[in-house]
Amino acid sequence: MSTKGYYGRMLEVNLSTGKIEKTRIPDRDIHMFLGGRGLGAKILYDRLKPGTDPLSAENILMFMAGPFVGYPIPSSSRTCVVTKSTRTSPVTKKYEHSSSLSYSNMGGFFGPELRYAGYDGLLVTGKADKPVYIHIEDDKVSIKNASKYWGMGTDEFDKTFHKDLGEDRHESCYIGPAGENQVPMACIINTAARAAGRGGTGCVMGSKMLKAIAVKGTAVPEVADLKKYNELLEKIRRSFMKKDENVMNWRYGGTANALASSSSNGTQAVKNYSEGTYSEIDKIGTEANRKKIWKRDFACYSCQLACKKSGFAKGAYGVQVHDGPEYETGTMMGANLMISDLNGLHKLIYDGDNYGIDIISAGNTIGFLMEAMERGDIDEDFLDGIKLSWGDVEGSLALLHKICKREGIGELAGQGVKALSERIGKNTSEYAIHVKGHELAAWNVPVGSSYWAITYATSNRGACHMNGGNTSGQDNACLRDSLGACSFASSWYKDEVHYRHILSAITGLEWSEEEFNKAGSRIFTMEKMFNYREGFRREDDTIPEKFFKNEFTHGDHKGAIVERDEFSKNLDNYYESRGWDKATSRPMENVLRDMDLNFTV
Amino acid sequence: MEEIKTAGKQSRRHFLSRIAAGTGGLLILGSYGFSIKKDSKEGVIRAIAVDFEKCTGCRTCESVCSEYNNKTILNGEMIKGLSNPAKSNIRVYHFNPDVDIPSTCALCKDAPCIEACPVEPHPETGHKALYRDDKLNTIVNDTERCIACLNCALACSEKRAGVIRPDPVTGNPAFMCTLCGGNPQCVKYCPYGALKYMEMPADRNLDNLAPEKLAEIMIDKFYNV
Repeated sequence: MSTKGYYGRMLEVNLSTGKIEKTRIPDRDIHMFLGGRGLGAKILYDRLKPGTDPLSAENILMFMAGPFVGYPIPSSSRTCVVTKSTRTSPVTKKYEHSSSLSYSNMGGFFGPELRYAGYDGLLVTGKADKPVYIHIEDDKVSIKNASKYWGMGTDEFDKTFHKDLGEDRHESCYIGPAGENQVPMACIINTAARAAGRGGTGCVMGSKMLKAIAVKGTAVPEVADLKKYNELLEKIRRSFMKKDENVMNWRYGGTANALASSSSNGTQAVKNYSEGTYSEIDKIGTEANRKKIWKRDFACYSCQLACKKSGFAKGAYGVQVHDGPEYETGTMMGANLMISDLNGLHKLIYDGDNYGIDIISAGNTIGFLMEAMERGDIDEDFLDGIKLSWGDVEGSLALLHKICKREGIGELAGQGVKALSERIGKNTSEYAIHVKGHELAAWNVPVGSSYWAITYATSNRGACHMNGGNTSGQDNACLRDSLGACSFASSWYKDEVHYRHILSAITGLEWSEEEFNKAGSRIFTMEKMFNYREGFRREDDTIPEKFFKNEFTHGDHKGAIVERDEFSKNLDNYYESRGWDKATSRPMENVLRDMDLNFTV
Repeated sequence: MEEIKTAGKQSRRHFLSRIAAGTGGLLILGSYGFSIKKDSKEGVIRAIAVDFEKCTGCRTCESVCSEYNNKTILNGEMIKGLSNPAKSNIRVYHFNPDVDIPSTCALCKDAPCIEACPVEPHPETGHKALYRDDKLNTIVNDTERCIACLNCALACSEKRAGVIRPDPVTGNPAFMCTLCGGNPQCVKYCPYGALKYMEMPADRNLDNLAPEKLAEIMIDKFYNV
């Protein structure tokens, strides 16, 4: 009997041997790491040998559904994909294939359905010898031939696959051609648009020749204190149903609302992070999209914010029925490339999702190449004849396609800006905007740098905008990602409906504030120890040189820059607050012991 | 239609005209699509109606339906059960391009499900195993008399929405809307106001109830492709 709120059961599928097992999750691991991202990190640490090649059969690909997932707790449907990253490497490689762990979570309905089928997570190892998909129907699990789907874009696949599965409602996630081609920055997609976008999740899935997972289930894990849980659920539902301004803003624009606000605050990635403000932002912001593109608002399971915007675009780039820009895609393929052509932007997003590529990394990479062209560090021959310049939709599309097909320059570009800058040389590393090999996302660094520089420098998956810029922010993100709760809704979960009270009602364990926060800290430290074992040190916790040298030239934040000394001091303080050694970044032994992470000492 | 009382604060006419916009004369209403004649000779029926423009596919309706209709006794007290969408009487179907179709029992006036039930009417009540409850007009199954032939489910799926499916445990027909005793929880909790418990003409067209058919109509309407 497992802790209430969980099955205490993982589904394990080995695609090399075809073996399918249901394994117990030790109760102690559940209590220490909660589920989702945290439990995934623990499993990865336990089961991977240091230096494992992320594209080898040994790498583990996990789809983790935390203890909130499947319950109708508003905005708590997230599935966390955990694996060893294809994107990162330390400055000093301890092993040939040293890389960090990767976690990337996606909303939608997949995680809930996995829990209805009776599992807290799905763990995939091995490699199939032909394209396959995994079909899960409660206890019935099978590996099926997916040859007919290989090569299909995610949009067509989504339509075809679900038709083939029949009338019974299944949930699914899958890769596109980018994942099949093992492009390092490939991602995993569900509902044709939602993505576990970062850290090469789709590349790992492609390396296993796993096209898709389909799941449907009928169960639900018991809760310990149903009466208390019902009371809390009623309260939290009611607090969203007040439909205050915050709720309505999410529904109106989703994260795209930040396109305008971030630009005016000077925190947007513009022109490969050279600027924080984009003068043409209104052409691709919420209002423009409401007017020209968006048709419908969609929500993840039991979410009252409906931040997903489905649109219809028709113009020079044909017709696309697809998600319109949100903050990340709108910035990375828009402002960062100086693209304000809404139809062009929409086409870039559609193609990115359809190929199944991490649009953050792809947009960042195209921005890097635009800057390299402008500076004359590369020429059009380097880009297979593409005359790439700022604002160039055609050139960006051509590059995106090459990346996804690993064709010509796309082979190298698909490895990201670190690999590109190493090949090109000529100081291009200064404007290769990555940390540990993982590209930065759509939030720029210089304005509010004490927050953003630490956010990116210390993230355990390489540059990550969701990491949090201080210990408590990071620990809270760990907790949400482990429970399955969405960051966007976190502000509603306060006081009497705080996450920990809900977790207490579900599990029957009394989660004190102290123990709960400690769990968040433990999860972050667990991940750090995985990375430390691979050879990541303080020298890897840095930000690109550009931020120390380039001043914004316009906007309200003209002149903004990061002071090197200040960054270094902030990093010292950060390590101090974590109890990590300032020289090496290694968590101190007493800290590890205090967190019951003795096994990592 | 003018005489029909409003179900909520919003006038029914306004509600209808809003959801009808752009459908080329075809009014989309109910947890299914059908056309409504100008005036109804058959009276009205009170059922769940869906505003497809407002549904975001969050499936809160499935949760609250399964909580209310699967109550449990805890320390002698009857409380709402744990949400399980597989037990919900309302079900949201998702399609690509993005459209969500909540589907629930339409309380069809001609009830092909009851028509298909082979059980002899009860000498006193006149009820077959599947019958219409007098109070709320819901379709109810008498599990004592039901032979689990599932002719009702077949009729529903062939002629209407396909709402009736076998109960996974008993095999008896299940998933008919209970209207939660007159206070449908799906309507009460829908965060987007997409569901209404309202009166509609009893002789409305019931040809387009299947989620697939409705999805086609709505995709065409929303995305114009």
